[in-house]
Amino acid sequence: MRIGRPRHGLTAARRRPGRGLTVAVAALLLGLLGAVTLAAPHAQADGETYVVATDTTFAPFEFQDAQGEFVGIDMDLIRAIAEDQKFNVDIKPLGFDAALQAVQADQVDGVIAGMSITDDRKKVFDFSEPYFESGIQMAVLEDDNEIKSYEDLRGKRVSVKNGTQGSDFANSIKDQYGFEVVSFADSSTMFDEVKTGNSVAVFEDYPVLLYGIAQGNGFKTVTPKEDPTGYGFAVNKGQNADLLQKFNTGLNNLKQSGRYDEIVDSYLGEGASTDDDSFFGLIKSTFPILLEGLKMTVILTVVSIAIALILGTIFGLLRVSRSVWLRAIGTTFVDVFRGTPLLVQAFFIYFGIPSALGFQMSALTAGIITLSLNAGAYMTEIVRGGILSVDKGQMEAARSLGIGYLPTMRKVILPQAIRTMIPSYINQFVITLKDTSILSVIGIAELTQTGRIIIAGNYKSFEMWLIIGIIYFIVIMALTKLSDQVEKRIVK
Amino acid sequence: MSQLVPEAAAAEPQDKVKIRIEGLKKSFGDLVVLDGIDTTIKHGEVVCVIGPSGSGKSTFLRCLNKLEDITGGTVIIDDFDLSDSKVDLDEVRQHIGMVFQHFNLFPHMTVIENVTLAPLLTKKMNKAAAEKRALELLDQVGLGEKANVKPATLSGGQKQRVAIARALAMNPSIMLFDEATSALDPEMVGDVLEVLRALASGGMTMVVVTHEMGFAREVASRVLFMADGKIVEDDSPGEVFDNPKHPRLQEFLSKVL
Repeated sequence: MRIGRPRHGLTAARRRPGRGLTVAVAALLLGLLGAVTLAAPHAQADGETYVVATDTTFAPFEFQDAQGEFVGIDMDLIRAIAEDQKFNVDIKPLGFDAALQAVQADQVDGVIAGMSITDDRKKVFDFSEPYFESGIQMAVLEDDNEIKSYEDLRGKRVSVKNGTQGSDFANSIKDQYGFEVVSFADSSTMFDEVKTGNSVAVFEDYPVLLYGIAQGNGFKTVTPKEDPTGYGFAVNKGQNADLLQKFNTGLNNLKQSGRYDEIVDSYLGEGASTDDDSFFGLIKSTFPILLEGLKMTVILTVVSIAIALILGTIFGLLRVSRSVWLRAIGTTFVDVFRGTPLLVQAFFIYFGIPSALGFQMSALTAGIITLSLNAGAYMTEIVRGGILSVDKGQMEAARSLGIGYLPTMRKVILPQAIRTMIPSYINQFVITLKDTSILSVIGIAELTQTGRIIIAGNYKSFEMWLIIGIIYFIVIMALTKLSDQVEKRIVK
Repeated sequence: MSQLVPEAAAAEPQDKVKIRIEGLKKSFGDLVVLDGIDTTIKHGEVVCVIGPSGSGKSTFLRCLNKLEDITGGTVIIDDFDLSDSKVDLDEVRQHIGMVFQHFNLFPHMTVIENVTLAPLLTKKMNKAAAEKRALELLDQVGLGEKANVKPATLSGGQKQRVAIARALAMNPSIMLFDEATSALDPEMVGDVLEVLRALASGGMTMVVVTHEMGFAREVASRVLFMADGKIVEDDSPGEVFDNPKHPRLQEFLSKVL
């Protein structure tokens, strides 16, 4: 099963000059990353701090390095220009669509995010001079000597990333050259498709290709650039003209001093990759940021399972109630959240509800709500099973003494039910921990998402997923063993 | 052992009607279990209910504190009409102790916690008073030393005596016994019956569903013989056991005696 962030498609739209920004959808995405960080001060005077928004992951223009720092051509460029023009820059990685929204709302001063200059965008933004010339290229495996031109693709498959200009281009010529196009949600899987031999070539923006090649992904480019487009720095229409001026002047200075070429070469040139790419080198360099991801995974799990226990107890009590209506409420809750995929629940809660009701919710909040409700439904059944496992004579004995229904539940039934619930509860804990990985789809930087971000930067999917799998395994085994001990102690 | 019976219960006037049952019916779906029961039980009476399996004895008893919903007719306990849906069942039940065939002690609590739980939760007593009363009652049933053990370590007879103490801790004025000795090993039955005897002689109003014919003959002030959801014979133990009138009772006694 493949899970694609919806953001991928939208993010990629920047590289598609013909298509306008889907503002309505972008508004949904302004959510969290934005909501927290957008309260940034607005720069007023010269020599002060400008807030510049960018995407979260679009290697080689912006991405996180192994230390979690935002690096890339855009990042180095804007910092160098700020230095040259003597202003401070505060970078906010909001995600592509949220970044554009934030500029339009004057919540940030500018945006640099590998954004193509298009006529549609010129209506709402003022652009700098193009600072990078992009275009589509075809790449094949280094040792592939058969595919040299589009003609050689006849009867073969090529892989592309959803919604990119590369995808549009491949689809526009596939009938002419007689090949088949398969789409993937991110660049690393697009490359892996070729490595495994299912496809023979990829179509992608040439800087993305060059960067991957520089990272040692084993590809080479074989065709000239097509559909050239310029990337520009943008400010809100009619705003921040002086910032735009500084950018253009600074960019010009960097080009003349040779600094511009240095920056671009450091990402796209020969030997751009200085990282230790061995398995243990990768562990060493990515471990700190993976630990951050693991921390988020554990926080998500612990908070959600705690809330789920409360929900499960409440709805579990409803499920065993004598009232038809209360039982119906409990049953509905369980059926809804067990009867729909967690992924759909996450999308509905993060994207659907806020857009329908016109408010914003952080991804973390949405993630915790989703997991709590989902695990809560399963906990409800665990609690119900626990309660039903208690001999009904216990309830009768307590009620015959004049103790009310709820006090009986609290003092007599639940304490006994918990004993039978413990193994199921531990099981649910482990399931919920694994389910947190699904929340990577709404951009929460938990362990899996952290891995995706790292792979987007270094294309080491085999090694990184192995490392991440091992981390999950160790944590879950440790928790299971710990829980076994706790179980033994409680049940004793 | 007269302290077993709460003072308030013992002090009530001798001829006060404690339980009035008129036209009581109970069905489970299509199955009619109680088919019109009429009887009155006065203060201090010890009413033993006997009859073959499936005759509705236990259901009858469970209707008296509304562990079973009543399908038709009225059950009036003191001044509370149980067939009235607005009646506060918890309050009524605080006046009616019940002892079950399978004891139903709370296994996660110690013996004394079992006994003090209801007085504490219903705020009838503070902790000190509840524990003092619990220890008195446990002493009365001969289990003062077991106050701090879990029920799992007790024998069946001991468990049932704890269950009786637990019911008495709420100072009820009526006690219901649902085959209280049926699940016990024979050698345990005597201890439990002794406690019942003490309660009866102390003036407690009791309804006892039992298979112990000897006990019924000895202790009961009245014996009800039930068959097919009806009270077929209602008389003194002497009449019921020595001069049975109804053929069903005669047949029943010929089998059990």
